[in-house]
Amino acid sequence: MAVGAVVIVLLFYLAIAAQITQSSYDLSRLQDQQRQLIAEQDQLRYQEVTLHAPAQVQQQAAQSGMQRIVPSSYAQGTEVAIDLTSPIGDPPTDTTPLWLRAVAMVVNTVGGTKDVQAASKH
Amino acid sequence: MSTRALSARRPGTVDRVGSARLRVVSMLVIAVVLAGMVWSRLAYWQVAEHGRLTMQAQEQYREYVELPALRGAIFDRNLTQLVVNTTVYSAFVSPDQIAAADRDRVATGLSTVLGVDKTKLMGVLESSAKFAYVQHRFPKAQADQLRALKLPGVGLEEETQRAYLPGFTAGTTLAANLLGFVDWNRDGKYGLEQQYQKALAGTAGYISSYRDLSDREIVLGSHTHQDPVNGSDLVLSIDANVQYAAEEALAEGVKRDKAESGSVLIMDPSTGGIVAWADYPSYSANNFTQTDPALFKDNVLSYLYEPGSVMKVVTLSGAINAGAITPSTVINDPGYVKVGGYNIYDWDYRNKGNIDYTYVLEHSLNVGAMKAMLAEGHDAYYKNLQAFGLTQPSGVDVAGESYVPLPSASQMQDSQYATTSFGQGIDVNMVQMLSAVNVVANGGKYAPPHLVERIGNQVNPLLLQPQRQVVSPATAAKMTTMMEQVVQNGSGWTSRIRGFELDQAGKTGTSQIPVNGKYTQSVWASFVGFLPAQHPKFTMIVVIRKPNYPGSEHDWTMNDGYLTAEPIWRQIALAMVSDWRITPDR
Repeated sequence: MAVGAVVIVLLFYLAIAAQITQSSYDLSRLQDQQRQLIAEQDQLRYQEVTLHAPAQVQQQAAQSGMQRIVPSSYAQGTEVAIDLTSPIGDPPTDTTPLWLRAVAMVVNTVGGTKDVQAASKH
Repeated sequence: MSTRALSARRPGTVDRVGSARLRVVSMLVIAVVLAGMVWSRLAYWQVAEHGRLTMQAQEQYREYVELPALRGAIFDRNLTQLVVNTTVYSAFVSPDQIAAADRDRVATGLSTVLGVDKTKLMGVLESSAKFAYVQHRFPKAQADQLRALKLPGVGLEEETQRAYLPGFTAGTTLAANLLGFVDWNRDGKYGLEQQYQKALAGTAGYISSYRDLSDREIVLGSHTHQDPVNGSDLVLSIDANVQYAAEEALAEGVKRDKAESGSVLIMDPSTGGIVAWADYPSYSANNFTQTDPALFKDNVLSYLYEPGSVMKVVTLSGAINAGAITPSTVINDPGYVKVGGYNIYDWDYRNKGNIDYTYVLEHSLNVGAMKAMLAEGHDAYYKNLQAFGLTQPSGVDVAGESYVPLPSASQMQDSQYATTSFGQGIDVNMVQMLSAVNVVANGGKYAPPHLVERIGNQVNPLLLQPQRQVVSPATAAKMTTMMEQVVQNGSGWTSRIRGFELDQAGKTGTSQIPVNGKYTQSVWASFVGFLPAQHPKFTMIVVIRKPNYPGSEHDWTMNDGYLTAEPIWRQIALAMVSDWRITPDR
């Protein structure tokens, strides 16, 4: 009876030990796999960074037929004489229909056209 | 028994007893000696050699694996990554573990994937060597191909390698001279990689564990584990796009002018942060083992030059600040002035008559600079040079700064004061010179030049320090106006940018290169300026070394900064106006 118990315990111990060893090998293999994946991630990161690099962008732009533009240019215009001393004229007529003004008053919105708003400010 | 009889037997008895004792004692001595020898030998192995034997035993059944720390990345101001850590592989063979029948297959596989010479490889495999490298540092794709072949006696070693972004010129990497590189011992060499080695490298960890007879790690066995502390990331003030534009304009300009070399440095006026740092010629930090070491040198920081007329900005600013002159002070300029027994001339040797200091700067007249220095006085002028940071290293956080200390104020000759006032007889590096001129752009304050804005999560403490007031804001404003006039009416005209004609400040500098104590016709040509003048977004200096502008073989003044350095400055400034969306203030 006692011998049987010892044998069972021994077998149990051996099974556990074998399982532990197997698990350690599995872990080792997974660590190796992890290293490879990290290496692949590094490679992809470098590819990504390189794709955003100014040299790559310029090369791609050139291949697509894009060109640098002159950042500033003068707009052609005709000179307009403005008399700053002349009196300010009448504000533009509000053409908003009367019924719409009434509705606006009811719903408490600002009445009048944008021109009127601009003219009435300040 | 008679007494005689007893006494007659005694001698014989004494002999027997003495002999037995002697034997016992001898045996004891021998036993003690032998035991002592054994004990001493035991003590020797157990005590004296305990440490060594324990270590030998540990080496046999324990495995110590270093866990290298991940080196910190380097980012630009927009968090564009400038350096990436990649994994590369080295292949090795163990010829004594490869059966004769497998040699051809192994050699074929290795030569196909790695491109190595098969005949040489067969020679290695047939040798009695236990270990030999086949090829160093190849990318993962090739390593994967090798793994798939499952060649006996072939192993792969992993290593981390820094990978840098491509630069403008083929075979270069972006900002190579600024960043430096990391060698195979993981030590940063040159530039920021060297300067910030400690912060970037971190601290390696380790795993100490048991291994089995097949040399495989028993992960769940007793082991000690120390995690590595990864290196800190650096965030720079560099703008990768501006850096690229600078490298492009510089490379084209140096080639166009057939110059020996050139450099560009751009600074954020208000912080002193360096926006671009370009050298031409440059190199590929990804391929540093195949590079001429002369190219590793960074000319921005380690090349000393005489700044020439750019120095007049410093001289006149100091004189204005001291109240010795104003932009409208009128002087007489006969084209030369006699100092210390020497006649020192304007660049054109011409008599200008009565002119004011705005005209002096516009037309870069040496006589005017010397008179301003004399009006200010030697001592005040010397203090002025100190205040502008020209008598000490700039302290910028990049490895390898060169500088030449000026003699003390009392040791300087009159003629040296005179020539220094217009930028000859004084050696500076580009960082010192740009930082000095930037005082004007920054409202009279000295902004300490720097590259690193953040180390990990820590802000560079330099940025939190108050800036030193060198000249008053009023002086800086006056000098800005004078430098605007240089662009509008003087030698800065080739740098003009459309739309900014009234809001651009600059100054040219051209100085002859001394060789064996005599000035030659080779020059350093430079241009420094900031834009927009009233609210500067950047300050930039371009230095071209030994240009050969068309026609300069007949007239060396054709190599002047306005023909060589200014067009490069303009090209880069145009790119920045576009990229940074800069608009003029007036």
